Amino acid sequence: MTTVPVRPPLVRSSDRIIAGVCAGLADHLGWPVRMVRIGMAVAALAGGAGLVFYAWLWIMVPTADESAKRDARRPASPIAPAVSLPPNLAPAVEPPLWSGAYAPGYAPGPVPPPPGSSARAADPGGYTPAAGPAPSGPYDAGIPSQPPGSAAVPGTGAWFRVRNMRYGKEILLGAGLLLVAAILIARLLGVEVPLGTLIPAAAILGGAAIAWMQLDETRRAGLVDKTKADQAGGWARLAAGLALVVAGVLVMVSGSGSWEQTWLALLASVAVLGGVALVLLPWGLKFWRDLETERAGRVRETERAEIAAHLHDSVLQTLALIQRRAANEHDVVRLARAQERELRGWLFRDPARDAGQLSDRIKAAAAEVEDGLGNAVDVVSVGDTAMTDRHEALVQASREAMLNASRHGGGPVSVYLEVSDGGAEVFVKDRGSGFELHTVPEDRLGVRESIIGRMKRHGGTAEINSSPDGTEVRLKLPAAAEDNGEGKS
Amino acid sequence: MSTPALDGRAGDPGRTVRVVIVDDHAIFRSGLKADLDPRIEVVGEAGTVEQAIEVIGRTRPEVVLLDVHLPGGLGGGGREVIAGSAALRGTTKFLALSVSDAAEDVVAVIRAGARGYVTKTISGAEITDAVYRVAGGDAVFSPRLAGFVLDAFGTAPADIADELDKLSARELEVMRLIARGYSYKEVAKELFISIKTVETHVSAVLRKLQLSSRHELTKWAAERRLL
Repeated sequence: MTTVPVRPPLVRSSDRIIAGVCAGLADHLGWPVRMVRIGMAVAALAGGAGLVFYAWLWIMVPTADESAKRDARRPASPIAPAVSLPPNLAPAVEPPLWSGAYAPGYAPGPVPPPPGSSARAADPGGYTPAAGPAPSGPYDAGIPSQPPGSAAVPGTGAWFRVRNMRYGKEILLGAGLLLVAAILIARLLGVEVPLGTLIPAAAILGGAAIAWMQLDETRRAGLVDKTKADQAGGWARLAAGLALVVAGVLVMVSGSGSWEQTWLALLASVAVLGGVALVLLPWGLKFWRDLETERAGRVRETERAEIAAHLHDSVLQTLALIQRRAANEHDVVRLARAQERELRGWLFRDPARDAGQLSDRIKAAAAEVEDGLGNAVDVVSVGDTAMTDRHEALVQASREAMLNASRHGGGPVSVYLEVSDGGAEVFVKDRGSGFELHTVPEDRLGVRESIIGRMKRHGGTAEINSSPDGTEVRLKLPAAAEDNGEGKS
Repeated sequence: MSTPALDGRAGDPGRTVRVVIVDDHAIFRSGLKADLDPRIEVVGEAGTVEQAIEVIGRTRPEVVLLDVHLPGGLGGGGREVIAGSAALRGTTKFLALSVSDAAEDVVAVIRAGARGYVTKTISGAEITDAVYRVAGGDAVFSPRLAGFVLDAFGTAPADIADELDKLSARELEVMRLIARGYSYKEVAKELFISIKTVETHVSAVLRKLQLSSRHELTKWAAERRLL
């Protein structure tokens, strides 16, 4: 089945006699409505099969409106259709129609629907591409909304593969149901069917199928994401498949023999399985460990590459620059300081900390001044607070003070920031020869406007203490905005 | 880091002080040796924890310039060297020397018994002064260490001066001034007290830092990897 018939989605039609099932079915299959209705009525006479089928479709098939709503809510997903698509039950039509028609009394309603509905609900996209948007549409729309484990197969080719495989499942299931129906009819007609052989064989086949399906799905999921829940479900399915196979083999081997024989066979098979496991376990473990080692190695390699890239972009470049400017001591010191700061920031950064804090801003201002003028500016901070507009003014005033200290003081500048409940204080100290505020010309705005005036405007205070040993600028910003800072020393 | 000139009464500047330099970088050791004052006699060098304990035990120096991060031993670095030299506690003093600014490193080595902490970018004159100060029994606090102390103990003064978990009002003042970049002499001048009194306060703070059972201290240091 390589070509996909383009069919309208299976929905209950609004053109209805009872529930719109027959009209919808006819629409979907492309048959005349009248024929479908007559067929359904005839089937209803065959032991009520038509009634059961009609009721089942009534319950399971949505109306056109419902279908549209579900499609809108859950974008069609080709990868996890069972999760993200409405149970359109499109493929459920043909096999039950046949088996239902032929074996109404023997294939009781509840048995076929559950596997049919679950398996087929998983595949409506395949039969009804028109249900979703454009063929490539479901992809982009669908993937983000899926559980991580199932978003495994990006790529149209993969989708087709999966879809084809799903078709195969549908056909298998249909064939199985037909077979069951045929057997039941044969028995009804008096033909002796070796059920004792067929049932175990079916169990073995079913178990193997379950286990193999699992293999495929876990491999797919494992490529992208190993979700624990998926793994658990996978193990459960694998175990179920194994149990089915073992049970089937046992029943087949022991035939209709006594319980004792069965027990013996069970014991023997468990012993054999145990022996095989014992032999294979060390190899398996070794293989697993190699795999883990290799994975860890790859992670380390990635980390190493990241570090190497960072060092190359920063430290090596700076070292090259330093070599070129070796004659200029000032430049060398400045480069070294800037690189040290950058490397420290990278080594000790804490991703959990947000960068908008006052201390970060003060440090950034200090770094800027240091880079601009070449004098070391050391920041010590105690406490911290989030930035506000007033703190912005404090940062600007501090920056101005640092610039002055670095420009006129010469030598290193010490900056101390203390944030407490009472407010924020910044001290900027240099070891220059000092100056007297009243000797600064009136037209020089640096100190008067940028530091003292700015602090006053924002309810803070600025104090300049200068002596021949150095100058210290003390900036204070009280905590409350309305507090004008009077009476503070 | 610009540790202020630790001027004033720094031990007895006239005499020779015997030191051991412990650092795993040979380049740094030779550079430091060249920078130190000629009155400071380097009697030994070591590059690992084991070597350091052996050299210190053999030469019995007055001061050990100790890198916080060292290879060897059980991975404890400078702390392990101090612990391993416990027999010499009375005569040998440790001055922690680090390129790391991380609070946990600094606080850990101080709590292990170091008498002070300076960063490796300190100048030769400053480190000479610090060596004399430590040899004289005082503590050496850089502005950054003072900042750590203020951050760890909080900036609210204690009611009782001797309380281990808090700093007294005077000690807080001294720590604040040191954090602001004041030298001991400048602190003394600012607070109208003698340099000896400043040294007493600093030693008291060091003792509290080393002895305080304040459980937050370690936690605090671990949280503050950034400073």
